[in-house]
Amino acid sequence: MDSQPEPVSYICGDCGMENTLKPGDVIQCRECGYRILYKKRTRRIVQYEAR
Amino acid sequence: MDGVVSYQRFPKIKIREVKDEYLKFELRETDASVANALRRVMISEVPTIAIDLVEIEVNSSVLNDEFIAHRLGLIPLTSDRAMSMRFSRDCDACDGDGQCEYCSVEFQLSVRCDQDQTLDVTSQDLISLDPSVVPVDVAARSTSSGFDATENRGIIIVKLRRGQELRLRAIARKGIGKDHAKWSPAATVTFMYEPDIHINEDMMESLSLEDKRNWVESSPTKVFDIDPSTHQVVVVDPEAYTYDEEVIKKAEAMGKPGLVEIYAKDTDFIFTVESTGAIKSSQLVLNAIQVLKQKLDAVRLTEDTEEADEQFGELGAHMRGG
Repeated sequence: MDSQPEPVSYICGDCGMENTLKPGDVIQCRECGYRILYKKRTRRIVQYEAR
Repeated sequence: MDGVVSYQRFPKIKIREVKDEYLKFELRETDASVANALRRVMISEVPTIAIDLVEIEVNSSVLNDEFIAHRLGLIPLTSDRAMSMRFSRDCDACDGDGQCEYCSVEFQLSVRCDQDQTLDVTSQDLISLDPSVVPVDVAARSTSSGFDATENRGIIIVKLRRGQELRLRAIARKGIGKDHAKWSPAATVTFMYEPDIHINEDMMESLSLEDKRNWVESSPTKVFDIDPSTHQVVVVDPEAYTYDEEVIKKAEAMGKPGLVEIYAKDTDFIFTVESTGAIKSSQLVLNAIQVLKQKLDAVRLTEDTEEADEQFGELGAHMRGG
């Protein structure tokens, strides 16, 4: 679809900082070290079967 | 013919009431298997068009993507073209992604709320790229027939508050109710056996007027009445009878067993058909008969196989009415 897939960003549950994670990374905020991150909605088109 | 008994019959249809979305008719001189086949085909094998694939670009509404996709699928679309369309699985002119005029119709929806009041996203916001396939309520509004067009504000898909947005592309395809109920053109299809009511007049005359009234009142539906001048019990509406047998039990309780005999005629049926609006109810019945004929053609055996197999030969003779 897209030429280069946009990286998925996550929001820190503590400080609200946006993080980008790659496979294998430790799930931790780079700013404050908080370990709960929330995934942001992708800006890509998502496809569903209407069933 | 060669000592083979013919079972062929010529069913008759009499139409009683036709509206766009409602049809009542009699089917006579056939049997329950045919009546039930017709009913089942109307519900689950007559094709219509419904949204089947949803590509969501932006969705900041309170409902999640899957929820919205499901709701879009359930919106009935005008499907007069469905019989001549192709199923996307056997369409060889395309890859089934909505660019093909033979098997799919594309819809677009783009709504954003920029006001303080809650904004309803309805079927009227769905923009069809094919004017012959639109949500049924939109079609009803433009012709102002069917249900009350002034009160018609469309089928609500989702509600948006300030700042929320929904943007998507949807692809509608041909399908049948057996695959998913969203493709069923029928809201309800029922048939009843026509009742055959015999009142034993001699026994009835042995009752007092009071007893007659009690007996007539014992039926939960108004099947019988008393003629005000002759004081005779008459059948006013045999079809109101629901096979509840209350009048038979009442007669027995009054010590008059056999006062009335009610049989279900097993060759005559009364059908009630209600359409979702995807196709007209009359067209629904015609399409069902066509689908049923296609199914029979698939079963019908060729000349040489029926001669080769004795058992099938008889079946072939049966179907030809020989």
